[in-house]
Amino acid sequence: MLERLLAWLRGDVSASALDRERNRCVDAYDLVEQLPNGAARAAAWAAFALQTYADKLVAAAAAPPYVPEETVALALASYRLAADCLEVARNGGGVVPPAPPRWRTPVRSHDQLVGMRQALDALHTYLAFELHDEHAPELARLDARRSAVDGFWIEHAPPEIRGAIGDALVVGIDEAYALGRRLFETGES
Amino acid sequence: MGLFRPARTVTGPDGDYWELYVSKTALPSWRQGRGGAGDFAGGFDARFDLLELPLMVASAVWGLLIAPLLRFVVLLPVAVVRGRRSRAVRIEAVRSYPAREVFLWTTIDGRVELVLDEIVAGLAAGKIVHPEGAVYSGRESD
Repeated sequence: MLERLLAWLRGDVSASALDRERNRCVDAYDLVEQLPNGAARAAAWAAFALQTYADKLVAAAAAPPYVPEETVALALASYRLAADCLEVARNGGGVVPPAPPRWRTPVRSHDQLVGMRQALDALHTYLAFELHDEHAPELARLDARRSAVDGFWIEHAPPEIRGAIGDALVVGIDEAYALGRRLFETGES
Repeated sequence: MGLFRPARTVTGPDGDYWELYVSKTALPSWRQGRGGAGDFAGGFDARFDLLELPLMVASAVWGLLIAPLLRFVVLLPVAVVRGRRSRAVRIEAVRSYPAREVFLWTTIDGRVELVLDEIVAGLAAGKIVHPEGAVYSGRESD
């Protein structure tokens, strides 16, 4: 209750403000499963990854349904890009963004880090399943990022450490996003 | 681990003497206000200035000493508690001569000695290293 009150006083935004954008890309989870490998599936993967990223960030907020403004901004951008990617997957044409959207500040809060970490784990799990091997060589770089994050993951981390963890997670999520696009575009998996 | 006693000392190839401090507490910065009676660009009136002198001195003492000290004393316990509840450890490399320079790394309990070894080896070779087990934050401003 106190956390909710503080969130409201901080000016955090209700997660329901994201519903409209989220509903536009809700098919991403199914579409990436249904399509055969190729450009359309690569776009569906991008939509899936962007939606997963946004969903995990919103779910990790400490005082639901309130979500910090900066998290909302990034989730909103992710949902919008995911919807664009879904259009590319369904109809062809258009452009798939080269990377997920960026944060506006360098240091992440604990909740944002939790959301990013869960997003990276989810993308890693999906890719490992697709590669039929949790330890596939293609995943080595992602595993290295996750190890780096684990190495610094402590309670009450100061800004310096949260900054480093956030950087490692951003790079890891970028790499997972790019790896999935390559795998599903070329069908190498 | 102590705030006032260096954990290691090292001399660089150019003779630079570095002291490495290990601490869990990030001391609050010393922020001075503006001392004195402000801007006198419009000229001086000697009689007026003489009357204002005690006020100027009081203002200077407040801005340069008392206010920063009060801020420091209030924030210090918060900094100590914050440091104690975290596993993060700060390593500061301080050089006092010819100019004061402070570089900061942050690591976690259990990696301190390893990181210190790497920093010391780097400084001895004249380099600022970026150990894998630490976050290098660069030059600290006082």
